[in-house]
Amino acid sequence: MTDLTFLALATVTVASSILALEARDLVYGAAALGIAFLGMAGLFFLLDASYVGAFQIAVYIGAVVVLILFTVMLVGPQLGEPPLELKRLSLLAAILLSLLLGTAGAVSSASAFPGPDNCGSGCDLVGLSSALINQYGVQLEFLSLVLAAAVIGALTLAKTERKTQ
Amino acid sequence: MEPLTSFFAVSVILLGIGIYGLTTKRNAIRILFSVELIYNAANLNIIAFARLRNPPIVTGQVLVLFTIALAAMEASVGLAIIMLVSRLNVDIDLRKLTRLRG
Amino acid sequence: MGNPIIDLLTSTYFLEIAVFPGLLSIAILGALLGWLERKLTARVQLRVGPLYASPAGGILQMFADIIKLLFKELTIPDGADRFFFIMSPVTALIIGAALLGLIPFAPGIQIANIEVGLPVFLAIVTLSPTIVLLAGWSANSKFPFIGGLRALFQQTAYEIPLWLSTLGVVIVTGSLSLTGIIDYQRNNGWLIIPQLLGAFLFIVTSTAEMERLPFDLPEAESEIMMGWQAEYPGPLFMLVQGPAFVKLYAFSALFTTIYLGGYLGPVPIPPIVWFFLKTILIIALIMLFRSTFPRVRLDQLLRQGWTTLLTLSIANIIIAYFLVVGIPAI
Repeated sequence: MTDLTFLALATVTVASSILALEARDLVYGAAALGIAFLGMAGLFFLLDASYVGAFQIAVYIGAVVVLILFTVMLVGPQLGEPPLELKRLSLLAAILLSLLLGTAGAVSSASAFPGPDNCGSGCDLVGLSSALINQYGVQLEFLSLVLAAAVIGALTLAKTERKTQ
Repeated sequence: MEPLTSFFAVSVILLGIGIYGLTTKRNAIRILFSVELIYNAANLNIIAFARLRNPPIVTGQVLVLFTIALAAMEASVGLAIIMLVSRLNVDIDLRKLTRLRG
Repeated sequence: MGNPIIDLLTSTYFLEIAVFPGLLSIAILGALLGWLERKLTARVQLRVGPLYASPAGGILQMFADIIKLLFKELTIPDGADRFFFIMSPVTALIIGAALLGLIPFAPGIQIANIEVGLPVFLAIVTLSPTIVLLAGWSANSKFPFIGGLRALFQQTAYEIPLWLSTLGVVIVTGSLSLTGIIDYQRNNGWLIIPQLLGAFLFIVTSTAEMERLPFDLPEAESEIMMGWQAEYPGPLFMLVQGPAFVKLYAFSALFTTIYLGGYLGPVPIPPIVWFFLKTILIIALIMLFRSTFPRVRLDQLLRQGWTTLLTLSIANIIIAYFLVVGIPAI
């Protein structure tokens, strides 16, 4: 049962992430990216990381994909992908990609990491929240400072642009 | 339970797709897509490796929560820059974007 | 061993998804809510409302409307993006139905009882601005696009107070699962009393998330003529209107679950009746907003959302903290 679910989720994720990069229209690309993120959230649910999965949906699709769509629609339709010139570079990338895929295939055939069936305390919500507050509290505070800085930076960028017009 | 190897395989494939996009695409928004895909590959890898320990540990999930927040920041700043550039310059092809060259 | 297909069709899980709390009941209840809204609005405005479609006060009016809409011509505007134009309302309906899968209707009647029910519900809600923006963009027309952008600003701004107002409930009950929240209320009374501010914030922000009056800027008829729904033809217009009522039902069910004790109530009346009594009460309350409040302006809406509601929801978290820890003696 899990096997089929995993297969479907993995196929959706990989296919839509390829589509995100290769779709001619950027709006379609952004929508495909959103579907890839949804598939990733499903994979998190399969790994018993349901809280992280919920946040994956809320942050990536609720915020990042919406921002991307908004930018694409505002920046306008002149963004058609220009024809590739650097054939050599794309060839390099293709070789790299196939190497990585080969590694993936080789590793997965060995089935080296079975993984425990029952996650138990390792995926416990209470354990996660207490670790987040008690063990990593300082890092959390730093992260919120960085978040505030990023938001202020983005607002400043958008605002100066409006003043110059 | 699916063996964790399959999750690693998905993660590696996504990383490959992301690197492919980073090296061949010239549109700034597509490059942002690629970066997000690489972030996702890393997240999946971290969570799967946190399951590998017996008993599993929660540190992986904490780390991924932090990464998700960082990715959101990166997207917001990156898209603000893209919008600014698209107003100043006509297109956001990164190889033509040489305004700062002396 | 019977026929596997018949076994599947009569299994509890399938029946739950297909018939009761699932799809069939959602469709029927959505249509009945449409009738209720028209009737209530008419009563407030001293009109009669739907009257002729059945002996019982026009209760079948919405079904008649659905049949009428289904036979209309399916026109797609020139230059529209056909894929997103058709897929957006369908996806919105799926999202609305998915929300109801998380609600416990009675002990044991719940499609997905997961540990993180509340965050997953709110996470699914955050998918909605993407859909509306794509719907508005795909029509290739001015008013729909303005409506889509308004929906984007409004829904993303009000998501944050929505998450923070439910955080108060989570802090008090110490549980993220909807069943866990109900179990807490079984022993400690309804949460609307200690979390009154949170309940108020939840009602306000969820009304904004549902795009209902007084926050219906994305589809304001008198300003941008139905906004992002403007270009939708008959059958698709039905699909666009459907998710609005499904979302209303889902948000009211969530409010009932986390603030009004869900299906809990005195014994002689079965739990499911209690649940629907409370839910319909909340739905009627939200419908009365429509006929009693004027529409706000976009700048007022965004300013209130980012300042007043955000501050109030943080104050609500502080209240929840003192509820758990106890008020320190000074």
